[in-house]
Amino acid sequence: MNIVVAIKHVPSTADELELNDDGTNLDFDEVDFVLNEFDEHAIEQAVLVKEAAGGEVTVVGVDVIEELDGVLHTALAKGADKAAKIVGDIEPPINSHTHARWLADAIGEMGPDLVLTGVQAVDDLDGQIGPMLAAHLDMPYVGVVTGVSASNGSVTVHKEYPGGVMAEFEVSLPAVIGVQAAEKPPRYAPISKIRQMAKSAEIEEIDADEDFEYEGCELRQMAKPVSAGHAEMLEGDAEEVAEKIIALLEDRGLL
Amino acid sequence: MLTTTERILFVLMALILGGLTAILFYGIYKIIRRGRPAPPRENVIPSLIGAAIDVLLQRPMFRSRPVLSVFHAFIFFGFSYYFLVNVTDVLEGFVPGFELIYGGQGPLEPLPDWPINLFNLIADILSVLTLLGMIVFLVRRFITHDKRLEFNEGVLLNPKVQQGWIRYDSLIVGVFILLHVGSRFLGQALRLAENGRPDPFMPFASAASFLFRGLSEGAFTFGIHLTWWLALGLILLFLPYFVRSKHIHLMVAPLNLGLGKPGPRGELDPATPPGSDDDAEPGAKYVQDLAWPRLMDAYACIMCNRCNDVCPAHSQGLVLSPAAVEVNKRWLFNEHFADFAYRGNLPDMPLTQHVISPEAVWACTTCYACVRVCPVGNEPMADIVDIRRRMIIEGEEMDSGIQTALESLAKNGNWFGKGSRARARWTKGLEFKVKDVTKEEAEYLWFVGDTASFDARVIPITQTVANVFQQAGVDFGILGRAERNSGNDVRRVGEEGLFEQLAEDNAAAFGKAQFKKIVTTDPHSLNALRNEYGPFVEENWEVLHYTNLLLELFESGKLSVSKPLSHYRVTYHDPCYLGRYNGEFSAPRKLLEILGVEFQEMPRNCENSYCCGAGGGQIWLGITPEGERPAENRIREALDALAPSSNGAAADDKQLLFVVTCPKDVIMYTDAVKTTGNEGKIEVRDMIQLVEEAISG
Repeated sequence: MNIVVAIKHVPSTADELELNDDGTNLDFDEVDFVLNEFDEHAIEQAVLVKEAAGGEVTVVGVDVIEELDGVLHTALAKGADKAAKIVGDIEPPINSHTHARWLADAIGEMGPDLVLTGVQAVDDLDGQIGPMLAAHLDMPYVGVVTGVSASNGSVTVHKEYPGGVMAEFEVSLPAVIGVQAAEKPPRYAPISKIRQMAKSAEIEEIDADEDFEYEGCELRQMAKPVSAGHAEMLEGDAEEVAEKIIALLEDRGLL
Repeated sequence: MLTTTERILFVLMALILGGLTAILFYGIYKIIRRGRPAPPRENVIPSLIGAAIDVLLQRPMFRSRPVLSVFHAFIFFGFSYYFLVNVTDVLEGFVPGFELIYGGQGPLEPLPDWPINLFNLIADILSVLTLLGMIVFLVRRFITHDKRLEFNEGVLLNPKVQQGWIRYDSLIVGVFILLHVGSRFLGQALRLAENGRPDPFMPFASAASFLFRGLSEGAFTFGIHLTWWLALGLILLFLPYFVRSKHIHLMVAPLNLGLGKPGPRGELDPATPPGSDDDAEPGAKYVQDLAWPRLMDAYACIMCNRCNDVCPAHSQGLVLSPAAVEVNKRWLFNEHFADFAYRGNLPDMPLTQHVISPEAVWACTTCYACVRVCPVGNEPMADIVDIRRRMIIEGEEMDSGIQTALESLAKNGNWFGKGSRARARWTKGLEFKVKDVTKEEAEYLWFVGDTASFDARVIPITQTVANVFQQAGVDFGILGRAERNSGNDVRRVGEEGLFEQLAEDNAAAFGKAQFKKIVTTDPHSLNALRNEYGPFVEENWEVLHYTNLLLELFESGKLSVSKPLSHYRVTYHDPCYLGRYNGEFSAPRKLLEILGVEFQEMPRNCENSYCCGAGGGQIWLGITPEGERPAENRIREALDALAPSSNGAAADDKQLLFVVTCPKDVIMYTDAVKTTGNEGKIEVRDMIQLVEEAISG
């Protein structure tokens, strides 16, 4: 089975985020990029399907800040077979329509049986890459999936609804699946394997269609929430704290 | 004395059984050679001589269990002396008239008496001491059932061991020694009884001879022949068994001590054998993946379980037993001796199924206590690290907490999941600006480490260190966002590749910085920087612990005590990676003396310090195992040591302190004081907090 995983490099939230001067987006010179967490699950799920049913896993993403190689090497160390990056004169931010267009162009050429991608990403909280990929590639789509197993010509996917209801879908292939969580937690990639990949692996480069432009909506402003107040810690032993609470409640006319 | 038939029989037995034993010994040599190459041993001859002296003085034994070690010394000296005694016994059997009693008979007659009398006296006394020692050991194992000879429930043990074969082996060896030494002793007593007079240089045999006075001539002859055969024939019969039995420790242990690991304790052996090609798999999956000294360890092990006594995991009741690692390897060799030794047809038996369970592998704190205490120089901890290395590279499932920590370390260079930009954020609380050594020169590069940089409970302590350094005029700077975790615990978790990456990143930062020495509050960083960064850095900087630097500052007058802290009664915990690994015991104690506190050692101190339970990646574990945690055990030990009744101090209102010099200890012990319900009774303080109080009084 030819499995393709579409991934996205997104700003890391490990550091405090800095905004650019005109407040229209992040200051991309001041943020580190990491692999979108849901895409980590998509990679894990793809490798699990490959291990169970055989096949080949290709990981592809847009090289937004020219640092995608590390992510691709990690995916290869985890069991992916091939890696590709979409390159060009690219500057962040890339909106999800452009992202989906470029990914679809690349993936279409690969002739996939199954396309997996993270159900959403922290950079835009759109959740649109999967559905748009499916539309571009003319394939069915199921999102928010928590497990994929392959059988002849189709895959069975699981999806969890609110209220503790589980659903099972049979999806005919080829198809696009938006992964919420892999069946198992993403595996650890030993650094020495990643370094081996960095030395030996070849990453295919695919040119982005830089003429594509999407003008549907525009991010007007990005700002940090202004803190409305702060918590006050009540010090002292239980008795004292209790008295303070009562005083506070009385003060506000609640007692 | 022997008849011709007896002589022929003895010589035949010696040739056949001796030859068989030689073949078996060659088998052991081949088994040990199945192991992978280890870093080359240097100065082998001086090292073997040193080991021989240590063994003769029984030094390694007295690291623990002093009383039992005395009885062991009896058996050791007796048994060693018996190598000489056996030679004279053979002569007594084969040379007509040759006898040692009364200063020498037969061909010995013309020689001076005194050397023979001295020889007899020593043999006589040692015979009795050996028998005494052996009886004590047998009583301890079979009658009083010393619990220390047992393993925790759930420890992976070879089926033969579960069936009690260590006990059977001990019994066989014990009875052999009793028969061998006892018969020889009785043989001499019979000779004295036959002659009808005691020998003043054989007091014990003379006393025993009175039991046999008045036997018939025939009975004497029979008795002397029988005891000769029980003493010497038994050795021959026993030789082939000896190779299987744990008793072989008496030959392998001195060799193992003499061929011990070169270099500092704090430097792990490489993950792949020195000189191996690039595709060699790191670490160990099968017993033959271990380095040869690890295979020799199995033959040196006497299965005394002293390592279990000091292991924080075993003491907590967990399924890790360092002793079982050696015991299981040994029984694996015994079971498949011919395959390993001669056929080279190595059984497909993963270590994690036959030697140590994965759960036990991940319970090790790498505190080094097992290696330090082992009287025969075994390193079960090295096996564990090698097994971890292979498990990591093969993608075996690992604890989720450890995985999260490693992923954060790979991504951010710290295990707190924070970006590298946040590393120097603790300096914002200071009233002065800390130099960035990558931008301006400083005498000391302060390697801060993850815990001291990021943990909210430790940051105030880190800030205090900075303030005290500043006050004392120390010219210091930090690497700031360029610093990465030192990789000490990463390496001990088995993630060799990540360790290399971190070390390379730090080395690159060092290369950009201008400084003369390195100082750190973190013993784990100190260990890696001092012992394991050799391949990564170009210069060999001196790496100091902050307690060394503080002591220097007091001694040079740059710091001085204005208010002695006599209102504290304190004990001090030696961090594993500062003390046992790097031998730094005195600076913290001298500091406490300078500060004027009342100091009381805990029973387990210095080399014998007890691990807090955080090392080797344990602090990252996602689960908390059952049982009394090592840190809790330690706090109780401290309270006992500091109790007024136990140290002769008068009951007073001095405040009790548990002084630490490691950022991880601050966390572990503050927590343990709470979980043991001892808040208000004892307080955990970092050394720097005491220094600050004393200098600003």
